[in-house]
Amino acid sequence: MALNLLLPSSRHRVLAACALSLFTTALPAAADSRQEQLEQKVDALAKQLEALQAELRALKAEAAATSAATSAQAPAPTQTPASTAAVAAYVDPSTAPTRQDARAAAEHREAFLSGYGEVNYNHYDHDSSRDEATVRRAVFGIGYRFNDSTSLVSEFETENAVVSADDGGEFEVEQFYIDHRYNEHVASRIGLILIPIGYLNTAHEPTRYFGVERNNIETRIIPSTEREGGISLYGRTGYGLSYDLGLTTSFNLANWDFGSAEGAESPLGSIHGELTNSRAADLAQYVSLNYDGIAGLNFGGSVFTGEVGQNQDVGVSASPRFLLWESHARYVHGPLQLQALYAHGGFSDTAALNLANAGALTPIPKAFYGWYAQGAYRVWRSGDYALTPFVRFERYNTGADYANQPAGFGSADRLTETVLTSGASFYLTPNVVLKADYQHYRRASEDNRFNLGLGLQFY
Amino acid sequence: MSRSSRICLLPLAALAASAPAQATVYLSIEDAQRAMFGEQAMTARPLTLDAAQMKAIEQASGVPVRGSLLRAWRAADGGWFLLDAVIGKSELITYALGLDTQGRIKQVEVLEYRESHGGEIRYPGWRKQFVDKTVGNELRIGDDIDGISGATLSCEHVTDGIRRLVAAWALVLKPLG
Repeated sequence: MALNLLLPSSRHRVLAACALSLFTTALPAAADSRQEQLEQKVDALAKQLEALQAELRALKAEAAATSAATSAQAPAPTQTPASTAAVAAYVDPSTAPTRQDARAAAEHREAFLSGYGEVNYNHYDHDSSRDEATVRRAVFGIGYRFNDSTSLVSEFETENAVVSADDGGEFEVEQFYIDHRYNEHVASRIGLILIPIGYLNTAHEPTRYFGVERNNIETRIIPSTEREGGISLYGRTGYGLSYDLGLTTSFNLANWDFGSAEGAESPLGSIHGELTNSRAADLAQYVSLNYDGIAGLNFGGSVFTGEVGQNQDVGVSASPRFLLWESHARYVHGPLQLQALYAHGGFSDTAALNLANAGALTPIPKAFYGWYAQGAYRVWRSGDYALTPFVRFERYNTGADYANQPAGFGSADRLTETVLTSGASFYLTPNVVLKADYQHYRRASEDNRFNLGLGLQFY
Repeated sequence: MSRSSRICLLPLAALAASAPAQATVYLSIEDAQRAMFGEQAMTARPLTLDAAQMKAIEQASGVPVRGSLLRAWRAADGGWFLLDAVIGKSELITYALGLDTQGRIKQVEVLEYRESHGGEIRYPGWRKQFVDKTVGNELRIGDDIDGISGATLSCEHVTDGIRRLVAAWALVLKPLG
C-alpha cells in the first residue's frame, strides 16, 4: 500500500521539477549566466533523479519482503485438491473480481441496442398484379439505464422501407417510455406504451409468432401494434400471477371515416392515435392478468375501455365508448406449441351517428370479434437449426352488428370470415427465421396467397 | 506487482464501487446453500478453468464459456453448489445450481434479478423442471424445459447457463472424486 501511495507522488515530484526548470529557463537573462544556471539546474535535477531511483529501489525491496512475509503467513486452503490441473489458484469466490465479472460488467452497460425486422413476399393466387415484396418493418430500439431501477425503452420503426411523399412507407416511434421499478412486486411505465392485450401486441418480433404475416385477429380486432400514451402499474406475485393496470389516451371517434373500407378492416385500428397529437380529453383504462405458475402453461385476459368522443362534436350527444376484451391461453411442452385467443370489441352509443350516415360504406360496429387456434410442432432440430411446421385456424367478423340500421337502405352486418394458414418456420438461429406459408380465405378468396418471409431479432 | 498490472485492476475496483445498489436480492449465497443442502458444512472450492477445459465445456454444452472461474462450494455429503450469472435481456441474473454427488440437479435458485421483465423465472413451477436432470439430458428450452411466454429470453439464458454448469461438473468437478 505504501508503494501504491508513494509511486505517484514521486512521479509528481519529477514532473514538478521539470515544470519548474522549464519555467525558470524562460526567464530573460544574459546568455553566459543562463548557460551557467542551466548547467547547475541539470546537475541538481540529475542528483534529484538519483535520489528518487534510490528511494524506489528501497521501496521495491521493502514491498518484496512484505509480500513474501504475507504469503508465508497465509493459511493453506482448507482442502488441497489432489493433483488436478483444474485448480490453478485459490481465490475467495465471493470477493475476487474475475474475467467473468469484467465481461458481465461490460455487458451490464448503460445504453443498449435492440432491433427486429422482416422482409416479406406475397404471391396472390388469382391476381399476380397484386404480388408484392417489401421490407415490412425494420425496427431499432435504444435503451438507456439511468440507474438500477430506471430505464428508457424506445423503439423506432420504419414500415415499407422508404418514407416520402411519394412512397407508402411510415416512420413511427413505436415505444418511448420510462420503466421504473419500485420494488419486487410493483413497477411502472410512463410514456408511449404498448397495451398488454393478447400475445402479439407486446411480443411482435417475427421470431416469436408463426406465419409470415401477423394473424388476423390480433391485427383486425386487436389493432396491433396498439400503443397509447399513459402510465401503467405492473408486477407479479411470487407464485405465477402477473398484473398490469393502465391509464392511457383513448381512440378518437372524430376520425371514423364512413366512406372508407379501413374501418371494416380494423375498426379500432382506423381511429387509433398512436400518440401523434392524440386527443386527450377522454382517457382509456386497461387491466390485464396472466398466470404462468405451471411450467409450459400460460393463460390470461384483459379489458381495455374508454370514451372516444374527446369532447368534440362527433354528432351524438351521448358519450360513445369503446370496449375491447380478450382471453388467451398457450401451452408449450417440448416441441409442441398450442395457442388460442378470443377477442371481442365494440362501440356503444353510436346509433344516432350511424343513422345520420345511413347507407354509408362503413358504419360504426356495435360488435366485432374473432378467435384463432394454432398448433405448431418442431419436427427437426440440429444445433441452432430447427424446423417447425404450424397450422392456424381463424374466424373473425369486423362488423358483426351495425346498430340502428334503417330497414331497406342500411348497411347489412358483415359476414364472418374464415382463414386457414399453414406453413413452416425454419430457424437459422433462434433469432433468425425463414418462413413460408399459404393462406386460404373462405369468403375473400381473392386474398388467397403464398407468403415468404425473413424475420430476425436481436437484443 | 508491477504498476501496469495495478492499472489493470483499476476498472475492476471502479466496477466494484459502482455495483448496483438496488438490485433485488432474493437470496444470499448462504440462504441458497441452506435451501439446497440444509445445515451441511459448505467448503468454498473455486476453480480456475484452463483454456482446454473451457473449450471442452463449450463443446459439450454448446454454450460459450466466458469466464475462467467456476464459483463452486463442496457440501459435506459430496454435492456441489455452483454460483453463476447470465444476462437476461440486458441485465445480469445471478443464480445458483445445486448438484448431488451423482451430478443430478437438486435445485435451482435465483439470487438476484435486476430487470422489470422476465422475473417469472423465479416461479417455483418453472424452476422445478430442472430437478433430477443431469448430463445427457438436453436441458434446452423447447426440448425438456418449457419456457414462459413473458420471459422467453431470461428462461433461455438461465437454461443455457445450467447446461454449461452441468457440463462443467462432468468434465471438471466429477474427476475430482
